[in-house]
Amino acid sequence: MVSEPRPRTRKLTIIAQDPSVTVDGKILTAQIDIPAEEIASGPRGYRVHVIDYNVSTGTLYQSGVYNPLKNGHYPDPFEDAAKRHQDGVFLKNPQFHQQNVYAIVMKTLARFEFALGRRVNWAFPGHQINIAPHAFADANAFYSRHDQALVFGYFQGQTGETVFSCLSHDVIAHETTHALLDGLRERYTDPSSPEQAGFHEGFADIVALLSIYSLPNIVSRLLDVNSPEKELIDPSELTVDKLQKSILFGMAEQMGREMDSGVRGSRRDALRRSIKLPPLTSTDDSDKYENLPEYQEPHRRGEILVAAIMNAFLGVWRKRIEKLKRGKAVGSKLDRQLVVEQGADAAGQLLTMCIRALDYAPPTDVQFCDFLSALITADREAVPDDSKYGYRAVLLESFAAYGLHPPASAETHGGWSMVDNSDLTFDRSHFESMLRDPDEVFRFIWENRVPLKLVEEAFTKVISVRPCLRVGPDGFTLRETVAEYIQMMTLTPAEVETLDISTPKYMPKNQEITLYGGGALVFDEYGRLKYHVRNRILNKERQTRRLKFLWQYGFFDDEKGIQNPFARLHLQRALDLPTNRKETF
Amino acid sequence: MKKNTPPTKASKSVSSDENAKAKTLAKKPSNPKTSPKSATTSVTAPSSLNIRSYQVGFGDCFLLTFNYPKAANADDRMRHILIDFGSTALPPGTPPDQMMRVAQDIKQQCGGKLHVVVATHRHKDHISGFTTQEDGSGTGDVIARLKPEAVIQPWTEDPAVLDPVIGSPKDKMGESKTLTEDNAPNLQAMQSMHVSSLMNMHAVSEAMLAEVRHISDERTLKQPLGAGLTEKIRFLADDNRLPNKSAVENLQRMGKNYYVSHGSKLNLSKLLPGIGISVLGPPTLEQHDAIRKQRSADKNEFWMLRAAAQKFWGQQAATGKMLDESTSDEKFISDEDELFPDADTFNQVIPSHNRWFVRQIRAMRGEQMLGLVRILDKAMNNTSVILLFDVGGKKLLFSGDAQIENWEYALSLDDDVTQLKDVEVYKVGHHGSRNATPKTLWKNFEHKSEKATEKIRLKTLVSTMEGKHGSRANHSEVPRQTLVAAFNESSEYHTTETVAKEGKLFEDIEITFP
Repeated sequence: MVSEPRPRTRKLTIIAQDPSVTVDGKILTAQIDIPAEEIASGPRGYRVHVIDYNVSTGTLYQSGVYNPLKNGHYPDPFEDAAKRHQDGVFLKNPQFHQQNVYAIVMKTLARFEFALGRRVNWAFPGHQINIAPHAFADANAFYSRHDQALVFGYFQGQTGETVFSCLSHDVIAHETTHALLDGLRERYTDPSSPEQAGFHEGFADIVALLSIYSLPNIVSRLLDVNSPEKELIDPSELTVDKLQKSILFGMAEQMGREMDSGVRGSRRDALRRSIKLPPLTSTDDSDKYENLPEYQEPHRRGEILVAAIMNAFLGVWRKRIEKLKRGKAVGSKLDRQLVVEQGADAAGQLLTMCIRALDYAPPTDVQFCDFLSALITADREAVPDDSKYGYRAVLLESFAAYGLHPPASAETHGGWSMVDNSDLTFDRSHFESMLRDPDEVFRFIWENRVPLKLVEEAFTKVISVRPCLRVGPDGFTLRETVAEYIQMMTLTPAEVETLDISTPKYMPKNQEITLYGGGALVFDEYGRLKYHVRNRILNKERQTRRLKFLWQYGFFDDEKGIQNPFARLHLQRALDLPTNRKETF
Repeated sequence: MKKNTPPTKASKSVSSDENAKAKTLAKKPSNPKTSPKSATTSVTAPSSLNIRSYQVGFGDCFLLTFNYPKAANADDRMRHILIDFGSTALPPGTPPDQMMRVAQDIKQQCGGKLHVVVATHRHKDHISGFTTQEDGSGTGDVIARLKPEAVIQPWTEDPAVLDPVIGSPKDKMGESKTLTEDNAPNLQAMQSMHVSSLMNMHAVSEAMLAEVRHISDERTLKQPLGAGLTEKIRFLADDNRLPNKSAVENLQRMGKNYYVSHGSKLNLSKLLPGIGISVLGPPTLEQHDAIRKQRSADKNEFWMLRAAAQKFWGQQAATGKMLDESTSDEKFISDEDELFPDADTFNQVIPSHNRWFVRQIRAMRGEQMLGLVRILDKAMNNTSVILLFDVGGKKLLFSGDAQIENWEYALSLDDDVTQLKDVEVYKVGHHGSRNATPKTLWKNFEHKSEKATEKIRLKTLVSTMEGKHGSRANHSEVPRQTLVAAFNESSEYHTTETVAKEGKLFEDIEITFP
């Protein structure tokens, strides 16, 4: 008897966007592929554990049953309900809600692992993230590292119906990305700057949006709403302006009205604002946006990043459409399916680039400009010849439109500079250990602290050593290693002042201030140091700016009430709650 | 229908109404023997003032008695202003009928006639004493029988602002979407939305009380929420729950209403001869907007945030109500689930592999609820009326529980800052909490002095009770020790805590006018 190989993926039914998106009055569902596994009750799998406990009512719901492999495939418990359009099941059966979050979280995780070619760890010590799909009666949903969880609230919508945040694809993908990003760059949740907090929000939005745009049927649905279902499409429908209108604004319209909850801020308004954010004109200062008071608020700041990436997406897609036109008479129609596929492909590639770029981003205090250089570097590594679609040129242009340029330390092509290895000592560390062992990497760093320009007095720790695998342009697999280290110093305001870093005027003399710095070290396949992407701990300008922001936003305030950074941010956004510490006793 | 009046208009109409009112007053003096002329001409300015600071535990109650010994008519020799009358907690050993004892003392002190009542804002610790009983035996009944001529409250209390006709944001302003497209907001609708947010905050507080009762209940839950967190949520939610309806109605009914905002002209000179009153807060929404504009390039930012906040509180309130209905104590005990009536649940035992998370998420929810009640508590505090009295060149400042967001408008105006320099009596904001005496305000006071013998030395008055609010561990204790130290050092400091320790009902502070 020959045994069949066990399937690598399984299909589960989810709600495509959220229950307000319907076709012929019926909720639009989709069956998605996720990594296959034998699901225990919960559902509980190798990375996700759904615990359907409702704090507000003290109820723990039982989970559905996931049958084992049968006839070469795993049954999808809600396949039948989807075929029969049984909307009552989707809304009123908590077991479907459990499946919906399980499947979308697994799908998002799989997307990250696909881009990085390795397992992505959670930021907490544990393999399974806890998910509460009906955590509490509250218009809120967030990721909590402390509780190792994603929690989704439910609330009463404007027309009196119950709205479940665990049924919104966009919200789930967004919150899952917070968790994944936290696993990859654990210091990005540190209180730092509007831009770092904005990066978390903007990046989560970008992943949620590009994931959706990389599905051809969604792109097809949004494109030329006026003349759907035709095989050919008029190129005049595909100008940047028209694509903005159909694809980007169309998406904003699709975002469920009910999910316009106060706590998360209006996602639709946020996306609309991102798209409408005018590029800088020749008379504008390049730091125009970052200096505007409203962009000190992290969600608003994140909108700038979303704007840059979304416009780059349209830019790349346009270039691909231009290619389709080649060899055809001017104005002749294009194959609609090809146009759609080019769009979905562009979104998918851009998403992969964005995720890969994280390996090349500094481990602390990230700025949008750093991310731009990380994007360029990551892409240069993967695709040295950019002449086909010119992703990098489009990205540089799109970021520049919002005053975002590669930092001064970057090369003229926008990527990071390569490290000169001639000053470094490799003699006392071992190549094999360097691939996995933080102690070994620390030994290397300590040995080379002078050429690497580390601050010797600071506490230094290697927080991760990860393999970075990809297929090189010649078809061979490349294995590089990315290690992150951080440096920390806890000082009094007076001590901080001696480093030429200014402290806020009314800060108490005995206030403890912790300064952070750090770097990402990228080693090539021979163990040589290729890139050193870092933020120096003694960067005066950066640290001064950070302390000023933290003080204004009350991070030194002990009475925070809500400790979870995401829950707090959501509230601050919804209710406009900057603190005014200088007036407080 | 035009019966609704926005506060800015109201303040104008207040002055004209007041003239009319003053005329009627003059026509119908309380004592028929006194001719109206002599009443207004002989009494020009008070010669002294007694501030009676009552011991109401965690609450506020001040009776200001202005003396006019030269007045020809005996009835005109005193004028009484009651500023707040409320309590949420009494110190141990205080008689349970303390509030009634206070009411009776006010009655006696006033000789049966109160002139002005100020209810700075609607927190229980400021207005619970105005509660009435059907049989007329409530403390609020005692006050109402003193027939105050004028009742001063913040503009947010004006029933006209919450008129259901303008209270429907959808009709008047459209959806929040229209706001982002540079449409000028409809001010009336925005005011009504703001007030409806405040109303929704009460509903949220009620729901929080129900929920915290549930998640801290050992009968229903094996791992209840800790007592410390529970107590904090309860204390704040209780102070913010819907105020006793009778107290609110009593205030609406007992005298002529003045719903004020920064800059309102009160024109109470006939009722309170020689006493100037400036209203320094709360700001109107337009005034808030002016402050916001200094910080933002987006001219509609403020209004968008208002609309978002209104939506938020509306949603929270509706959600809380949904919960309130499904979490009555009887239902907790029953096995039926309100959210999914047909769902299978674990009734008795939480499976072992879920217990850690259940404990975590419960604590997380507790923390989240505390964060919310803190926010709404602050919003309510910031509706406080701030009054600056100017009598014979001496200034007295009563600021309710106003925090910086209320103060910032007045403190942004040079004229106000100048006016505030020579304050001689400061009723400390919010029971001495750390965020209700802005440092800018404190630094601006010129009569601070370390010398007890100083000819003019600032007097600070606080009504408070230790151990009820905040904690020393995180520097949020009320009263805040660093603030108390500053008061002790640079002013003549009076606290009702001393009154409580001595077992007294009140402390009198005498002020004489040159």
